[in-house]
Amino acid sequence: MRAKGRWHAAGRLALVIGGLGIASALLLGVEARAADTIKVGWVGPLSPPGGYAEGALMKQATQLAIEEINAKGGVLGKKLECFYEDTRGQPEEGTAAAQRLISQDHVVGITGEFHSSVFLAEMEVAHAAGVPIIAVDVWALKITGKGYPEVFRVAPNQALIAAKYGDWLAAAGFKNVAIIVEKTDGGQSARDVLLPILDKNKVHYDIVGSDPNATEFTAQIERFKSNNPPYDFFMTIFSEAGAYPMVSQSYTLGFAPTAHTGIGNTGGPAVDPTFWENVKDGGKYLVTEIVGLPKNAWNDKTKGFVAAFKKKYNTTPSPQAVENYDAMYILAEAIEHAKSTDGKALVAALEKTHWLGGRGMYSFSTSHDPDWAYHQFMAAPVALVQYDKVGQEADDAPIIWPRNIATVKYMYNKPPK
Amino acid sequence: MSWNYLFIQAANGLVIGVIYALIAVGVTLIFSILKIVNFAHGDLYMLGGYCAYYVITLLGVPPLAAMFLSMAALFTLAVALERTMLTPLYSDRTERKDEYGLIVTFGLAFFLRNVAIIAFGPFPLKPPSFISGVTRFGSLVLTNDRLFAGGTGLLLIAALLYFMHRTIWGQALDAVSQSRESAAIVGINAQRFNSFAFGVGAALAAAAGALIAPIFSLAPDMGVLPNIQAYVIVILGGMGSVIGSIIAGITLGESEGLFTAFFPDATRALAYTNAFGVLVLMIVLIFRPTGLFGRRHLRME
Repeated sequence: MRAKGRWHAAGRLALVIGGLGIASALLLGVEARAADTIKVGWVGPLSPPGGYAEGALMKQATQLAIEEINAKGGVLGKKLECFYEDTRGQPEEGTAAAQRLISQDHVVGITGEFHSSVFLAEMEVAHAAGVPIIAVDVWALKITGKGYPEVFRVAPNQALIAAKYGDWLAAAGFKNVAIIVEKTDGGQSARDVLLPILDKNKVHYDIVGSDPNATEFTAQIERFKSNNPPYDFFMTIFSEAGAYPMVSQSYTLGFAPTAHTGIGNTGGPAVDPTFWENVKDGGKYLVTEIVGLPKNAWNDKTKGFVAAFKKKYNTTPSPQAVENYDAMYILAEAIEHAKSTDGKALVAALEKTHWLGGRGMYSFSTSHDPDWAYHQFMAAPVALVQYDKVGQEADDAPIIWPRNIATVKYMYNKPPK
Repeated sequence: MSWNYLFIQAANGLVIGVIYALIAVGVTLIFSILKIVNFAHGDLYMLGGYCAYYVITLLGVPPLAAMFLSMAALFTLAVALERTMLTPLYSDRTERKDEYGLIVTFGLAFFLRNVAIIAFGPFPLKPPSFISGVTRFGSLVLTNDRLFAGGTGLLLIAALLYFMHRTIWGQALDAVSQSRESAAIVGINAQRFNSFAFGVGAALAAAAGALIAPIFSLAPDMGVLPNIQAYVIVILGGMGSVIGSIIAGITLGESEGLFTAFFPDATRALAYTNAFGVLVLMIVLIFRPTGLFGRRHLRME
């Protein structure tokens, strides 16, 4: 029995030693492989309570960019290795994700994010560590307004988006606007930009804040409906899935879109793949924004991206997807030009960005006037479109604003009585 | 504000309240038998909605039949979950049963939510209407889907009440809820009724999910808010009281709707709607610490 016990003990020891050997070999392999790659990070919501629907598209676009860059030989002769972090729409998760990417994964740059409040948390970590971070689909002014050298933004901000809505509402002749705004950093920022423009143009408005997770708006819409004088436009500043029931409820209750009251949504849901399945006829005549080039101005990069995305994922990419795709390319270009992965060298290279992507020629402002202009892609394309068919893709909808790129003569297509 | 406006808002609040009640009775039923608050109930509601959606879109089954199939599927799933995850609740070796139930159902909620994102995709989906179009009563406009959801919800609640009070299985459930030991003495297999109660609760949640899907759309996180609302309703009605949760559900639906409609500061009314529901709960608890139907609650325990 004792001899048998000794054999068992020896066997166990051999197993442990063997296991340790294999583990060491694997670890060494990982180390060796890691040395051959340049690590970059992506952050964004992939699960609730964040905007995981948009996050999924954004991640897919980044994966596509990484695959293409690596297929062309990578950067500085090395492959890009991307680490993806789910930030769940929570600032504290964003902080933890940025810390993991920087301290644990040793990434040289980060792109992504859909929620302004989360990005504001992430950029503090990146700023403290001196790692460049490119904001992709976050619109709050204070992101670039803080003046951190590491922070760049490819998305338009609220001064470029909400201002367009304000100018268009005034130019289209609306006089009395009902607004529902989600109570988030992005919503607050839109409100801060939009309301002064409406005030300046003497457009009356009533604005109502909402929990971003709300889905029941019937009582509020009935309240709007009973207002005297009646509203002539219903503006929804809502980036979450609740935008769909809001549009549906407004339509079925006969509030908007009607011959008297128009409807608009800013925030992204109106260009997502299942928009029409959810709102059906209620989406016709809705005004929304596209944060990419209008279809008639697509360049070869845009066309190539859309085709590759459709082929790989069998769905049409949203404007947020193009932003993510371009952001990863911009980071790769900066590494290539800096010939280094040092944070300061990358920031300097990013400041000199002059790269043609799927959303036009990218460059970042270095002006601090106004404060939000710093490291902002000032020429970020934004166009207001108005659906005129059920099931229409946003890129096919007529552009109504700004007028210099409008594809139709009218400024607003009023539904018939 | 006119009487007409009050009537419109009250009618909308009633429909939402019935749906709240349908979700909450399941939580109550589970609580009264298993003595745990099921924090995954909203996620079972979400699964029920998706199940009906796929039965309709993939198999071409009519929406009402799909709702019943979804109820059957969720009943089966819930029984399996109860058998695999909740049996330690009935063991004397489990010291902190309340905490165990809380952690397991919370964990299950997160698991189901994240699996739903992978399985069903992140984008909201919407099944076809039960009955498309709207019905007008003067200036009151109600979508047929809301009317159908409210009416079917009332029928399901009535069926549950009939079952609880007029059938031998329902009385056995009531017996287990009052005293597990006494029920065992008269030959009732309490463990079997644990599974049954969890299954019926999940089936009711599935019905609510299927009914609500054409109104609010389906999303993997759609159960988060109902989870909180159901908990508020169950406490408001009196823990363990089925009648209490029905009345509390309708009360909450009405009070939230009327709050949004009449709160003097119109810019804040919508944002404070959920907080107002909790405020109603706090006020009731100050005067009736065991909820609206506290006596019934004592009897059930």
